[in-house]
Amino acid sequence: MTGSNEFKLNQGPDDSISAVKFSPNSSQFLLVSSWDSTVRLYDVGGNTMRMKYQHLAPVLDCAFYDPTRAWSGGLDNQLKMHDLNTDQDTIVGTHEAPIRCVEYCPEVNVMVTGSWDMSVRLWDPRTPCNAGTFTQPEKVYTLSVAGDRLIVGTAGRRVLVWDLRNMGYVQQRRESSLKYQTRCIRAFPNKQGYVLSSIEGRVAVEYLDPSLEVQKKKYAFKCHRLKENGIEQVYPVNAISFHSIHNTFATGGSDGFVNIWDPFNKKRLCQFHRYPTSIASLSFSGDGSLLAIASSYMQEQGDITHPPDAIYIRQVTDAETKPKST
Amino acid sequence: MGRKKKKQMKPWCWYCNRDFDDEKILIQHQKAKHFKCHICHKKLYTGPGLAIHCMQVHKETIDGVPNAIPGRTDIELEIYGMEGIPEKDMEERRRVLEQKTQENQKKKQNQDDSDEDDDDEEAGPSFQQATAQPPAAYAPMAQPGMAPVPTPGMPPGSYSGMPPMMPAVPPMMPGMPPVMPGMPPGMMPMGGMMPPGPGMPPMMPGMPPGMPPPMGHRPGMNHMPQAPASTTSGMIPRAATPAATVAAPQPVVTKPLFPSAGQMGTRAPSTSSASSSMDTLSAPSKPLSQAQQGVPGAAVGLSASSSAAPKATFPAYSQPAPSAANTGSTVAKPATPITSKPATLTTTSATSKLIHPDEDISLEELRAQLPRYQCKIPSTAQAHISTPPVGPMGGVMPAQQGASSQQPGTRHPMHGPYGTPSQAVPGYVPGAMSPYGQGPPMVPPYQGAPPRPPMAMRPPVMSQGGRY
Repeated sequence: MTGSNEFKLNQGPDDSISAVKFSPNSSQFLLVSSWDSTVRLYDVGGNTMRMKYQHLAPVLDCAFYDPTRAWSGGLDNQLKMHDLNTDQDTIVGTHEAPIRCVEYCPEVNVMVTGSWDMSVRLWDPRTPCNAGTFTQPEKVYTLSVAGDRLIVGTAGRRVLVWDLRNMGYVQQRRESSLKYQTRCIRAFPNKQGYVLSSIEGRVAVEYLDPSLEVQKKKYAFKCHRLKENGIEQVYPVNAISFHSIHNTFATGGSDGFVNIWDPFNKKRLCQFHRYPTSIASLSFSGDGSLLAIASSYMQEQGDITHPPDAIYIRQVTDAETKPKST
Repeated sequence: MGRKKKKQMKPWCWYCNRDFDDEKILIQHQKAKHFKCHICHKKLYTGPGLAIHCMQVHKETIDGVPNAIPGRTDIELEIYGMEGIPEKDMEERRRVLEQKTQENQKKKQNQDDSDEDDDDEEAGPSFQQATAQPPAAYAPMAQPGMAPVPTPGMPPGSYSGMPPMMPAVPPMMPGMPPVMPGMPPGMMPMGGMMPPGPGMPPMMPGMPPGMPPPMGHRPGMNHMPQAPASTTSGMIPRAATPAATVAAPQPVVTKPLFPSAGQMGTRAPSTSSASSSMDTLSAPSKPLSQAQQGVPGAAVGLSASSSAAPKATFPAYSQPAPSAANTGSTVAKPATPITSKPATLTTTSATSKLIHPDEDISLEELRAQLPRYQCKIPSTAQAHISTPPVGPMGGVMPAQQGASSQQPGTRHPMHGPYGTPSQAVPGYVPGAMSPYGQGPPMVPPYQGAPPRPPMAMRPPVMSQGGRY
């Protein structure tokens, strides 16, 4: 199953994987949060686990602040900062409900968390302390940072665009252009737009500029669907990760497939082999040479036995990630 | 009848007036000539289908049907083969054809008859819904058939709604006279629904000699297959459509042309409403909805209402899945009451199945409700005060304290325990961070526009693209 360009990480988490994130400046380190209440740091090159730290409850997301500090949050409502050099924990603060997303915005130098308590909180990573709580209309399911803008996807298919430099008001309120629950939002590295996926095998490419001309370019397409016994099985699209150089992106679905898309030519660049179970999270390394793939059952079909959870590291080539002929 | 059949109107293309021998070929022609996307050459099924395709996929508006003769370019009209052709054009065509026939000196006799027959023929299976039926012509004939059948679904007072009733009297033709004696009692149930007045009496006498006419109107029976379905399934909104069509005496005819629905994708809103209600019904017993995927087409709605039936329909499908689905729902259920019942999703349709639980909340929320995770979640108070049990390094106490003391001050970070804003990092503008947005933005907001009320922020365009 795993060829020369791909391998499985050793010492994977003991329960489902919630997020994988590459270190910002090196493709050597990968942060992994899991339902087993741990956050683990892997040395991808050496294929070993460097360290792990514990939360009180399952961890839903994690992010690097800088190469030595990891932030994470989950069902225990706590936001933790962990110093990866000294292995020291700091509880930065809490939400009133589980923390679903943790992101870092380098432009404004602020950590952002989104929670099921219907709020987004900003955190000053230096102090570290809370730097504001911003009520959202619904539970936060996903968020992404595009330059100094924050795109928040909530329950009820709402999408809110905030200006991180001026959080006094919501810059744009949108409704997802997809008919089903929003699953994941990731901003283009070029900061011009974002990609939004839903639980119903569909992905939308959207632009932030509200002008008519730009909005004309938005579109959506179906993916992560399999025909079985004459019935089309439609899977959630759980994960999106952008290639920082080419602005192409990978999507991972509960069908176990990873696709790489060229959003400019509206073409699929490639599809990898089918992974044992749902793709829960994806992360391109900063230089775009590696893709971390978390194959982890997400209970789409209930609490049943399933293939073991695993993280795969795949070397990707330009042929797989670069837009063709443009 | 054989002779007349030949005279039946041949399929023709409304868009270009071309004749076809076969409606199938006509449909192929329309797809290739009139419903083909000029950009990607995808063949759509109807004019509106093409318009929607171009709008959604290529962001282009189509103002007319390609290759259509002037006056027939209306993209809004939902025409598929011979279905959906406006009645006036149908009449027009009929007239023209007749004129031609006359000119050709081909049998001039009983113009009326053939005219009438034409109508009847058109009532044939292929476009029963799309054609008009002069009600007066055949309704009276139909009545005798009706009488013995006390059908509850019958629309009160509309006696042209009768054709649907016929089904119950299959051997009607020859059986006619014998039926007559039975009429009076049989009539009784109908009395209520149908003022027996004008329609009835004239008919009765007419009946016995009228034998041949019923023959001629046999085609009217083509409604039969529909009728039972629509009457029995009256409670299903979707099924009501055909019922209405059948009952309508006039050429009105709303045509639920399937192609457009198919075109719009398998989850056309019209169907989802019906099936979502169904999902709610069957929510606890998931096997039901599992089985349902095996039931083709419109049968889905039906089978759902008669809850028990579908299981048996495709045991092969329903067998393997339920066990899995069942465990899922039973395990997940106990925790559910914690939150208010979330909205449900339509996870199955006739042709597709959404691999997602019924509840419209995220997978993570559902999973967090599992007992094995619930027990790990500390109460909120604990979360604030208690030290993390053993974290590898035990955690850093000062921060811990900070976390709790910070709670009340969350909204005013600047006055928090961590000192003055000036301490903040360069580039990180505390003023702009003010949760109330009162601080003047250091950087002009997006596009340099002054802060607008949130509503105005939503550009009208957003809706333009519509949903996908």
